Amino acid sequence: MDTADFANLLVSALLLAGIYAAMSVGMTIVYGVMKIVNLAHAGFLMLGAYFVLELYESWNVDPLAGSLLAFPLFLLAGMLVHWLLVKRIPVSDQPTLASLLLMFGLWLVLQNIGYLVWGNSDRSILTTRTLSSLHVGPITIPTVRLMVFIPAVCSLLLLEFVLRKTWYGRAVRALMQNRYAGRLAGIPVEKMARLTFGVGIGFAGAAGGLLAQLYSFSPDFGHGFLLRSFVIIVLGGLESFWGAAAGALVLALVETFSILVLPAGYQPAIAFSLLVLALILLPGGIAGIFAKKQRWA
Amino acid sequence: MTAASVRMGRFLTYRVAGWGTLLIALGILPWFGISPNLTRLLFTSLVWIITSVAWNLLGGFAGQVSFGFAVFYGLGAYTAAMRISAGIPPLAAFAIAGLVAAIASVLIGLPTFRLRGPYFAIATIGVSEAMRVLMTNLSFTGGASGYRIAEPGPFRPLEHYYTALGFAAMAVVISALIHHSKFGLSLQAVREDQEAAADIGVNPLKAKLIVHLLAATLTGIAGGVYARYAAYIHPQGVFGFHTSVAILLMPIIGGAGTVAGPVIGGFVYGLVQEELVAAFPQFHLLLYGALLIVIILFEPQGVVGWLGKLRSFIERIWRKSAAASVG
Repeated sequence: MDTADFANLLVSALLLAGIYAAMSVGMTIVYGVMKIVNLAHAGFLMLGAYFVLELYESWNVDPLAGSLLAFPLFLLAGMLVHWLLVKRIPVSDQPTLASLLLMFGLWLVLQNIGYLVWGNSDRSILTTRTLSSLHVGPITIPTVRLMVFIPAVCSLLLLEFVLRKTWYGRAVRALMQNRYAGRLAGIPVEKMARLTFGVGIGFAGAAGGLLAQLYSFSPDFGHGFLLRSFVIIVLGGLESFWGAAAGALVLALVETFSILVLPAGYQPAIAFSLLVLALILLPGGIAGIFAKKQRWA
Repeated sequence: MTAASVRMGRFLTYRVAGWGTLLIALGILPWFGISPNLTRLLFTSLVWIITSVAWNLLGGFAGQVSFGFAVFYGLGAYTAAMRISAGIPPLAAFAIAGLVAAIASVLIGLPTFRLRGPYFAIATIGVSEAMRVLMTNLSFTGGASGYRIAEPGPFRPLEHYYTALGFAAMAVVISALIHHSKFGLSLQAVREDQEAAADIGVNPLKAKLIVHLLAATLTGIAGGVYARYAAYIHPQGVFGFHTSVAILLMPIIGGAGTVAGPVIGGFVYGLVQEELVAAFPQFHLLLYGALLIVIILFEPQGVVGWLGKLRSFIERIWRKSAAASVG
């Protein structure tokens, strides 16, 4: 492999990592604040994709603008779901099976509503960007990947800013560290949980819209990406945003460079195997490796 | 003998009598000339009941929710299919299918049982999906295009039906024996609080591995029984995520942690599912997803829990009217 090939692969891995991070950050924040493994994330990714498709086909709204529009709408949907379902299960410091199965049930419902409304044929969003590409020296960048990468990274930076600089962000970080201390400090836990669930679903909707521009989709769309999101947040140590970004990068690099050694048919197995390995070998995520080393030193 | 133990004994007798009646009814049903379609539906239900009862051993009794039972079902289906095609008698092939699934259960259980609750559940999704991808690409099993079973002789639906009935009965007996045994209590202890269970002398890993092995063996046999009936299997079917989901939904909807629940869940799924798939091929899982949500929020014991509530409601009314008539 020459350097140009290597650089091309590296760039495509980086571009992939951006959207992977945006896709999994919604799960991270929900897990962090509420200790809920949100399997319904996949359902909202799928709905986000169809939302953007419908806007594009009916009103010719640019898919990028559509993804942006998806965020507030899905935020409200997420808050509704929290109010209707999630708040009814007991809170816990450890993720519970009840919440996992509840979100799984919701995913089944969303997925099958998708089948009901859109059928099971594969759809895709084709714009003028889809087939064009940029050439920077020896590197070829598909325009659509770049145009998806930029909003994904911007949204992550915006989230990071909110978490660092606003009262809401500080409250979220406090709740992620210790729910009881947060409550004692006067944080309205239930309200914050509702808002956070909304933000998580909002990110799912927007990320679904972004992903829809890269891949074809059906109502089963979220499935593979759900497992990838797991890999990412597990690699990231479950509760850390920078961890999730690092996890996204690792997964994107492994997936992209694996085509050099693995037949294409086995490609999907990478994420699944990484998931099991990460869960078993890296309970603290990537950051956990360094933390352990520090403790030993 | 105390009154309580007499009541308990009578209670158990009722149960055994109830199960026996059900078994005999299902056993003689084919003599009444039921339609081939009903035989097929009952056969499918019985296969589902085996898997549902098996899942409940691990998921209901021991509280380890697995999304990965398609691994055992698929391995059993493929093993039995290839053995039968090689000319081995079906019952021996089913035994080998169970054995292969049992070995897989230990290989999967040893690393994943270090994980708790939802983490275990997610890891099993990963294992199951990786397995499906592997089987789609392996060449000696036919890969993605599936595997066709070459079994000489005519197709005898009743033989399949009685095979499934026999294994379903075996599964229920195993389930009931575990439920009323010391081992069952130790599983329950692991489910409620693993640390506390370890403190009172239960080895959680050993308990989980044993029950996983039993569940996998039964599921593997069920896969084999199904494969022989279907005569054609493919990875997206027997190893598919929807297979894992079906095996998980049935016992939860019927009533996880009970003996009767998974049987009810399997029957309902087997009979209703076929009609639902025929009527709404795309979104038949809508109903089950909604049911799952309702069950998690309101009645963790599923249909069995609702039946229990109904019974106590009727008993209350009956007692009231009895009291009124005396007074």
